[in-house]
Amino acid sequence: MIWRSVTREPRRLARLAGWSLAEALPSLLIGHAIARAIEDGFAAARPVAGLAWLALLGGAWLVAAVGARQSVLAVAAIAEPFRDELLARVVGGAVRHAVTPPWRPGAESVARSTLQVELARDAFAAVITAVRSFAFTVVSVVVGMATLLPAMLPLVLPPFAAGLAVFLLSLPAMARRQRAFLVADERLAESVTAMAGGLRDIVSCGAEGRVAADIGQAIAAQAVAARRVARVTAVRTLSLGVAGWLPVLLVLAYGPGLGASAGAVVGTLAYVVQSLAPALGGLVEGLGVSGVRLAASVARIRETTPLPGPGARRAGTGRGRAVTPREPRPGPRRTRTVRPRDARVELRGVTFAYGPEAEPVVSGLDLVLPEGCRLAVVGPSGLGKSTLAALVTGLLEPSSGEVRIGGVPARDVDPAARVLIPQEAYVFQGTLRENLTYLASAAPDAVRRAIDEVGMAELAHRLGGLSAEVNPAALSAGERQLIALTRAYLSPARLVILDEATCHLDPAAEARAEAAFARRGGTLVVVAHRLTSALRARHVLLMDGTRVRLGTHDELVAVSPLYRDLLGQWTPDVRQVS
Amino acid sequence: MEAADRLVVRTVRHGGPWVFVLAVVAVGGSVLELALPYVIGRTVDTLITGTSPGVFSGSVIGSVTGCALVLAGVVVCDSLHVWASGSSSAAASAWLRHRAMTHVLGAGPALTRRLPEGDLTTRLGMNAEETGHAPEAIVSGASLLVPTVGGLVALVLIDPLSALTLVAGLVLIVLVLRGFMRDTSEVVAAYQGVQGDIAARLVTALSGARTIAAAGTTESEVARVLAPLPLLRAYGVGLWQANAKAGVRTGVVVPLLEVAVLVVGGLRLAGGDLTVGELYAAARYAVLGAGLGSALGYVGRLARARSAAGRVEELWRQPPLTYGRRALPAGSGALEFRGVSGSGLRGVDLVIPGGVAVAVVGRSGSGKSALAALAGRLADPSEGTVFLDGVPVRELSRRALRRAVGHAFERPVLVGDTVGDAIGLGLAGPAEPDADEPEAAEPEAAEPEADEPEADRPPRLRAQGPDATLVPAARAACADEFVRRLPLGYATPLAQAPMSGGERQRIGLARAFAQGSRLLVLDDATSSLDTLTERRVAAALSGELRGRTRVLTTHRVATAARADAVLWLENGRLRGYDRHEVLWERYPAYRAVFQTDVPGFSDGGRA
Repeated sequence: MIWRSVTREPRRLARLAGWSLAEALPSLLIGHAIARAIEDGFAAARPVAGLAWLALLGGAWLVAAVGARQSVLAVAAIAEPFRDELLARVVGGAVRHAVTPPWRPGAESVARSTLQVELARDAFAAVITAVRSFAFTVVSVVVGMATLLPAMLPLVLPPFAAGLAVFLLSLPAMARRQRAFLVADERLAESVTAMAGGLRDIVSCGAEGRVAADIGQAIAAQAVAARRVARVTAVRTLSLGVAGWLPVLLVLAYGPGLGASAGAVVGTLAYVVQSLAPALGGLVEGLGVSGVRLAASVARIRETTPLPGPGARRAGTGRGRAVTPREPRPGPRRTRTVRPRDARVELRGVTFAYGPEAEPVVSGLDLVLPEGCRLAVVGPSGLGKSTLAALVTGLLEPSSGEVRIGGVPARDVDPAARVLIPQEAYVFQGTLRENLTYLASAAPDAVRRAIDEVGMAELAHRLGGLSAEVNPAALSAGERQLIALTRAYLSPARLVILDEATCHLDPAAEARAEAAFARRGGTLVVVAHRLTSALRARHVLLMDGTRVRLGTHDELVAVSPLYRDLLGQWTPDVRQVS
Repeated sequence: MEAADRLVVRTVRHGGPWVFVLAVVAVGGSVLELALPYVIGRTVDTLITGTSPGVFSGSVIGSVTGCALVLAGVVVCDSLHVWASGSSSAAASAWLRHRAMTHVLGAGPALTRRLPEGDLTTRLGMNAEETGHAPEAIVSGASLLVPTVGGLVALVLIDPLSALTLVAGLVLIVLVLRGFMRDTSEVVAAYQGVQGDIAARLVTALSGARTIAAAGTTESEVARVLAPLPLLRAYGVGLWQANAKAGVRTGVVVPLLEVAVLVVGGLRLAGGDLTVGELYAAARYAVLGAGLGSALGYVGRLARARSAAGRVEELWRQPPLTYGRRALPAGSGALEFRGVSGSGLRGVDLVIPGGVAVAVVGRSGSGKSALAALAGRLADPSEGTVFLDGVPVRELSRRALRRAVGHAFERPVLVGDTVGDAIGLGLAGPAEPDADEPEAAEPEAAEPEADEPEADRPPRLRAQGPDATLVPAARAACADEFVRRLPLGYATPLAQAPMSGGERQRIGLARAFAQGSRLLVLDDATSSLDTLTERRVAAALSGELRGRTRVLTTHRVATAARADAVLWLENGRLRGYDRHEVLWERYPAYRAVFQTDVPGFSDGGRA
C-alpha cells in the first residue's frame, strides 16, 4: 500500500526529483567552494576570488532553500492522497464492520485508528523526505569529491558504505524492538485507562492488589521494551559514528600523502562533515524511527479495519488471543436482491446461537405471519426478541431452519421491501428532510402527512421545518425515535419491524405511533417495550429464553403465568420513574 | 522547594545508576565535541607546515593521533549517551508510574470525584512519562550548553568579528522560530476541526449500525462520513505550506551564517590574521554555536517535565483510604451511622438491623448515593462513624470489609478479562495479606524485576467455565441466562461481549451478590432493567439473598414498597425512616419524591 502510494503518480515523483536536485546543490558545491575560496582566494592573497567562491556557495544555499520548500510541497502532494486513502479505509472498514452482526460499535478503537492515520501520514512524509534527501546528497557529494580530488574517494566511501550496510542490516531488529515498544506502551495506556475508569468498582471489590499487579506488569514490560530500544539504538549510534567520523580521520592522516592541499583537505572535510554525515543521520532517523512507526501504524490500521472479502477474516485471527470465538454468521453480502410478492413472514424450524458453545437464543421456532398481520413480541430483555427481529430482517442467518418473506429467503429480500427500526434510532447531521427520506424519496405532501400521522408535527415545528439542519446530539432519545419512526412510515416497505423503537416515547405518543403503523397496512412486528403494545396487537409472541408461546392476549392471560406476571407489572398506573 | 520539584528530584534519583553514566558521558562527550574543531584545525595547520608528500613528521603523527582519540571519545560518548538516556528514562518513568498507580488505587473513587476520569488517565500516562524524562532533559540540556556556549567562546577567542556576525544571525533565527508559531496555529486548529467533524460523523454512523445494516445503505454512509475529506486536504496542504515556509527560513539561516563567518574569516586569512586551520575551526564553531536554539529547546523540555511533575504531584493531595486490622465479629450485617456528615450528608444517625432490606429514597442530590458509598466505605465521612456489626468500618481490614460488603452501581464498570472474571472480581479480592500501612507503601520494594521473563508472572484468575460460586450469584441477578448465550458463555472475553446497559447492570449485580456476604448496597443498580427482570431480581433479593442486609437506593415506588423500611433523605438529612405505607400516607412531600416524571419524553436514553 505504501509503495503504491509513492509510485501512483510518476509526474509527482519527477517533480519531487527535480526540486530535490536543487536542494542538493550545496552538497555538490560546498567542498569545492571552500577549497577554492581558501586556495585560489584568501590563501593566495586574492580575496575577491575567495569572496566570489563563497558568494557562489551562498547562492547555492538560497537555491537549495527554494528547492527544499518545493520538495516539502511535492512530498505533501504524495502524502495527502496517502492520508485520504488510509482514512477512507479506516472509515469504510469501521462502518462495514459495525453493520455486520453482532453490531459492535467499538467507537474507542475507531478513535485510535483515526489517530493512527495521522501518525502514518507524518511518518510517511518523513520517510520519503529522508530517503530522497539521502540519495541526492550522496550522489552530489560523490560527484563533488570526484571533481575536487578523486583520490580522496577511497578514503571516504568504504567506511561510509560499511556503516550504511551495518545500519540497513540492523534495521529489521530495530524495527522489531520499536514495534514491541509501541505495543507495550499501548497496552500500558489501555490498562491505566481501564483502571482510572473502573476505580470505584475496583476498590469496592477490594481488587486493588490484583489490578496493581496487572498494571505493574504492564509498566515493567514497557520499561523493558524501552530499555531494549535504547540498547540497539546505542549500538547503532556507535556504528554510525564510526561511519561518519572514520573518513575524517583517514582524510587527515592520508589526504596530504595523496597530494591534497590544505584547502582540499578542508573542502573534503566539509563534504564529509557537512553533507554526508547529516544525510546519514537523516536517513537513520527517517528509516529507523519514522519508517518503523509508519509500518506499525499501517499494520495497526490493517488489523483494526480489515477490508471486506476473504482476506478480512484472516486479518482478525491468528493474533495471539487464546480464545477467538467464531463470529455468528452474518447475512452474506446481497449480490442479487429480490422483491417478494407480499409481506407474508414464514419461519420454519429456526434455531440461532451466537457461538458454537453458546446456548441457542432461538430454538426450533415455527411461525407464520400472513400479510397484514400485527404481531407483538414480549418477554424479558436480553432473551432473544432483538435476535428474532434481526432474523426476520435477514441481518442474521439462522444456524438451522429458514426464514422467508413472501416466499423469498430473508437474506435475499430487497432492503426496500422491509424496514427495521431498532431501539437506538439513527439520526444524522443533515436536514430534517434528508433524515426523513433516508429510506426512500417522497413528495413533500407525503412527508407532511407522515409527520402528522406518526405524531411528530410539534417536533418538526420546533426543529424549524423540513429544511432545518438536525443536530443528533441535541435531540433527546425520544425525539430521535420519532424521526426514525416517521422515516419508516415513509418507506414503501410492506413489512415493518419495530424493535423497541418506541421505548423512549411516553405511552400516549407510543400508542399514536403504533396506531399510525396499523393504519398504514402491511405486516407489522412490534418488539414491545410496554405490554400496552401487546394489547393493541392481534397476536402475541411471548419469548422467555427458548420457551416461546404464541397466542392472543386473552389466550396468554389464561395459560401463561409469566404473561400474567408481565401484565401485573405493566398496568398503566405503575409508571416507570427514572 | 516546591512539591513538583521534589518529585522531579526523586524521579531523577530513581533513574538508577544510568543517570550517573548519563551525566558523565554527556558532559564528557560535549567537551570532546567542543575540542574537535580545534584539534582538527590544528592538524590541518600542521599538515600545511610539516609535510612533504609521503613523509610524516612527528608532529603530524601526534596531532592525527590526538584527533583519533578525540573522535573515538565522541563516538563512544554519543553511543553511551543514547543508551543511558533511554535506560534512565525508562527506569524513572516506571518508578513514578508505579508509585502513582499504587497511590491512585489506594485513594480510590474519592480521587475520581475530584478529577475527571480522562484527566486522571492523562496524569498517570502522559504526564508521568514526561516527568520520567526529567533526568534526560536536565543532563542533555546542560550538556548541550557546553558545545554551544563553548563554541561561541571559542569563536570569540579565534576571531571576535566572526563571533559578532554569528550573534547577529542567532537573533534572526529566534525571530524566525517565533514567526513559525504564529503562522501555523490557526491552520492546525482548522485541520483538527475537520478531523473532529469526520470523527463525529463516524461515531454517529456507528451508533446507527443496525439501521444502516437493515437499510443496506453502508456505502452511502461511508461517503457521508468522508464528505469533509476535500476540506481536510485543503487545510492539510495549508499546513504543509506553512511548514515549508518556516523550514526554508530556518534551513537557510544556519548555512548562510556559516558562509558569513567564512567570509569574515577568509578576509582575515587573506590579511594573515588567521591560519587555514583556524578558519576551519571558526566555521565549525559557528555551526556549533548556532545550535543554541536546540539547547534552549531542552530547557523547554525541562519546563514541561516540571509542569508534568506538578500535575502528577497533585494526585497525592487526595490522601489514600487506609484500612485497619480488625476482623468482623459474628453478626448479620447490622449497619449503624452515628453523627455522620460529609459527601453531602448532614448529621445522619440511624441503625439498620442485620438482615433487613432498606430502601433509600429522595430527590436527586438528596444524598442517596453518598449514603450508599459511606455504608460500604467507598468514602469516609468527614464527621461521625459508620459501624458494621458494631465495628467502625474504618478499623476493618481490607479483606474483612470487602468480603462482607458487595456494591452494585447504576453504571457498573466491568473489570476483568472475561465475563466470568468480571463477576468474580470481588472474590479474587485482596490476594496479598493485609499489608495496608497508613501511608501507601513505597513501591521500591514492590517494583517488579524489570527483566523478569513473561513465564514468571504470577498466575491470574481466569474463569474457564462458570465457577461454582458465580453461577448462583449470576442466576440471582438474572445474568446467567444471557451469559450462557454469549459466544463462549462465561469465558467470553469482555471485549467481545457487547452488552446493553441493563445487561451490564445484571453483571454488576451478580458481582455484588457473589462478593458481599453480609451487606449488599445497590445504588440505583436496577434502573436499566426491564420491569420483569427487575421483579425477578427483587424476588431473589427477598428470597435467596434474604439473610444479608440490603440497602437499595431507588427512584421506584415498587422497590420502596417492597422494602422492610424506607430511609427518606432530603438535602442530606434524614427526613423519615419508616415503612413505605406509613410515609406515603403521612407525608405529601414523600409522595412528591416519586412524582418527578415529565410528561412527553421520558429520558431513558442516557442509561
